[in-house]
Amino acid sequence: MSDAESPTNPNLSPGAQTDDFEAVEVFSESTDMDLRPGADNCYKCTACDVSCPVAEVDDEFPGPKFQGPEQWRLKRKDDAAVDDSIMSCSNCMRCDDACPSGVPLSQMHNTARGEYVEEEMDKLSREYIRNRILANYGTLAQLGSMFPRLTNAIMGNSVVQQINEKVLGITAEREFPDFATQTFREWWNERGGPKVRSEEKRVAYFHGCYSNYNTPEVGKAMVRVFESFGYEVVVPKQRCSGTPMFANGMLEDAKRAAGINVENFSGLLNEGYDIIASCTSCSMSLRQEYPELFDIDGIKDVSKHTYEALEYLRIHEDLESEVRTSSVEDQAFAYHAPCHARNQGLDRQAVELFRELDGVEIEDVGDSCSGISGTYGWKEEKYDKSMQIGADMFDHMDHAQGDVGMTECPTCSMQMEHGTGYDIKHPLQLLEEAVV
Amino acid sequence: MNKSPSVLVIGGGSTGTGIARDLAMRGLDVTLVEKGNLTHGTTGRMHGLLHSGGRYAVSDQASAKECIVENRVLRRIAGHCVEMTGGLFVQRPEDSDEYFEKKLAGCRECGIPAEVLSAEEAREIEPYLATDIKRAIKVPDGAVDPFRLCVSNAASAVEHGARVETHSEVTDVLVEDGEVVGVEVTHQSGTGPYVHGKPGEVEEIYADYVVNATGAWAGQIGDLAGVDVEVRPSKGVMTIMNTRQVDTVVNRCRPKGDADIIVPHETTCILGTTDEEVEDPEDYPEEGWEVDLMIETLSELVPMLEDARTIRSFWGVRPLYEPPGTGTEDPTDITREFFLLDHADRDDLPGMTSIVGGKLTTYRMMAEKISDHVCEKLDVEAECRTADEPLPGSEDFSVLRDYMEDFGLRSPIGRRSVQRLGSRADDVLNSIDPNPVVCECEAVTRAEIHDALDTAGTDLNSVRIQTRASMGNCQGAICCHRMANELAPEYDEDIVRSSLDDLYQERWKGERHAMWGEQLSQSALKHMLHATTMNRDEDPAASDDALDFAAFDDGNQSEGGSASDGSSGGAVADGGRVSTADDTGGADGDN
Repeated sequence: MSDAESPTNPNLSPGAQTDDFEAVEVFSESTDMDLRPGADNCYKCTACDVSCPVAEVDDEFPGPKFQGPEQWRLKRKDDAAVDDSIMSCSNCMRCDDACPSGVPLSQMHNTARGEYVEEEMDKLSREYIRNRILANYGTLAQLGSMFPRLTNAIMGNSVVQQINEKVLGITAEREFPDFATQTFREWWNERGGPKVRSEEKRVAYFHGCYSNYNTPEVGKAMVRVFESFGYEVVVPKQRCSGTPMFANGMLEDAKRAAGINVENFSGLLNEGYDIIASCTSCSMSLRQEYPELFDIDGIKDVSKHTYEALEYLRIHEDLESEVRTSSVEDQAFAYHAPCHARNQGLDRQAVELFRELDGVEIEDVGDSCSGISGTYGWKEEKYDKSMQIGADMFDHMDHAQGDVGMTECPTCSMQMEHGTGYDIKHPLQLLEEAVV
Repeated sequence: MNKSPSVLVIGGGSTGTGIARDLAMRGLDVTLVEKGNLTHGTTGRMHGLLHSGGRYAVSDQASAKECIVENRVLRRIAGHCVEMTGGLFVQRPEDSDEYFEKKLAGCRECGIPAEVLSAEEAREIEPYLATDIKRAIKVPDGAVDPFRLCVSNAASAVEHGARVETHSEVTDVLVEDGEVVGVEVTHQSGTGPYVHGKPGEVEEIYADYVVNATGAWAGQIGDLAGVDVEVRPSKGVMTIMNTRQVDTVVNRCRPKGDADIIVPHETTCILGTTDEEVEDPEDYPEEGWEVDLMIETLSELVPMLEDARTIRSFWGVRPLYEPPGTGTEDPTDITREFFLLDHADRDDLPGMTSIVGGKLTTYRMMAEKISDHVCEKLDVEAECRTADEPLPGSEDFSVLRDYMEDFGLRSPIGRRSVQRLGSRADDVLNSIDPNPVVCECEAVTRAEIHDALDTAGTDLNSVRIQTRASMGNCQGAICCHRMANELAPEYDEDIVRSSLDDLYQERWKGERHAMWGEQLSQSALKHMLHATTMNRDEDPAASDDALDFAAFDDGNQSEGGSASDGSSGGAVADGGRVSTADDTGGADGDN
């Protein structure tokens, strides 16, 4: 029985996933990463600093050039002093995209952050505990989803929010996202797994935490859209892609999760499956951060075969014609391209596609960062900066014709909603409306 | 204005500053003169190896034994100039076992701690070593910063009452009644506590004794005194890599040859070297193939060097000496021992001794020997204390600090600053506010620049060697002008400009030997930044001609309207000329 069948396994209810922590033993101790040679590519043009949304609003933050090539070059092997400012990097990875010379900036930042957290951060500090909780959102969500209504009521309580802020340093300004009453995986199991079987067209869906626990409608849209194009969709068991863990320097947690994900997905590649994510940070993580940070069997193959959902369909199907001959009810969207989508070259895909769709007005609200960067904007001390970074986007959304937002990234969508009060949709949801 | 110090030392390298410190500590009245900056000659152009003695353990055991003794002394007295990296003698499959065994036995005979490592063990220490190496010997090699070492020796000498004169070239040796009685120096430009004369001023400095510590230039000083000093200057190339591919000194374990050592130095690695006799220590060819040879050969030990970025190359000249009549053909066979040449015994010219040969690791021992000799000549009884008293900056200090708390600096900046300043860190880094980073590549702050300016005057190259500012991967692209800016408002604009020019040109000198790959991009960016923002390509302010302002158009001409002869149109946006319908072409130069 292939892993592809595993989604129908009744043992795979979310509650059973904790057993998977055993898999940590599979990997050897971390090999120390020496990124000093990566500094060779930097000729100090400072394009990275100019592109950094955090440096723009935070005068204390020295910027990606310092965090990356400069800090690494100044290191001696036994020096254990990564500067604490690395914790202010939001891991938006725009510097990667800005660098004209191929400096592995985000790899340097992720590695330095991991080293800082591992060697210098007090494991009993509020900051560490808070970050650990935020980084392991998947675990948190799994618990919350067991009693979604109760959890939603508690987390929505303003007293609880104040406690979160005072005790944990999680901002009280933001509304906690509601947990769905039925997770995506529960729906998938109830549905009985794939409805379409195919030898040629096969994809393995990496839904990530958010589509599973909070916005199962995105996951459902993905399944229905792909099935409508004749794809066999399987949903292997999986853990968090690692994105929030990288951003908080929790590399050991990320490595555990990556190990499970790679093990569960890499076996499918030989059977002709490609890996599809609906969250651009998840696809970014599997594609770029996995092979950059971890040495795990099969990790490069996973990286090579990972795609974002729309991207994949635009490559393999004549999506444009399909959309051009469809129509939906009149609606207008203010579209924001997430930084991680930008890094994968996907920042224009939704606009290019949906402007062909009858009934739809879609407008790109500019190339600024939304400011939330996953867990960054949830931190009490970063909240104001997060909103300052997002100000441009809010402003452009205001001026856009549509009053519904659209983005691929779950946390960008939180920020868009938080800053404007708009409803936010995922492109797959509109695509579902158009073609299914 | 004749002064009569007891001893005059010529040469501001490691030997000269070491002698000046030693004699000053013994209570003598010392003057040191140097024609350029401190370290201007050979000291500033070495690969920065603190020998364990391992390199000489087979061929020159006397030197090897001196090295291990002085290696330990320098760790004690010059902690802030030394990084104990450890060293490896790496054997490749094609290198002989016999030599490996000889090396190991030699180290043990000389008292050099030596341990054999398997290939795996060696690669655990240095992961970028070639996968096919056979084994290695581990020895206590280290890295030493020759600039800081010299500057600290000079500072200590001054603390003990010595006078140090840089930019003061000896233009004659004064001989009266068959005895050396002093020197004539010609002062050059520059200001600061180490420069007292005015540019072009000639000063005669009398002394009871003169020490010629000019290394490869000893023959030239000898000529001025009318004696022959048969120095055989031998050049060697060194190539600086952008980052540290290794954190341990890596030597090739085979009989001496070209390109057999990689020394981690501060933020960089230095590849060395060659050994080729030259006529003139100041004028010899610097050739591209020498650099290629370093990279190609040393890639056999550390393959990633092949594609790694180099930031510059430089050549140094060894002051090799052998007694007349030895007749060694190959300079690599000339001994590395030092020689004390008392011209009274040798040439019947009392009052002066030359010191030649030797190497940086044993500079202190050489200084002690010659100071003993000078004291004997002058009938002074005083003990040498240089082996016990730490240099300024090397008193007890720890680099483990709370950099933000103590200095308001980001930790990599604070750490590198303390590694350079040693025990002086608190005094220097808290001396000025605000204290921004001036040189980003090497993490040098404004406070450290100002500290260096205290002795450098307007000489930014002296600031450079003291602080490493402008020695990083951008080679001053981002910081040359920032450094110069710190000279204002104390100095006038023309002085600041010429100091900036000196530094900027000095950087190009070595950078032009690394013009490919990333460093070529870097250089292009550096040139364009300076050309477009500071007129570095063609500065009208630097021209003697009056500027022809009329040659600029007023940017406001209406199309074709004001051209008086009607034969040509105005300029167009892309810089070309507007062609007219009856333009026949080929009319350039017609009147």
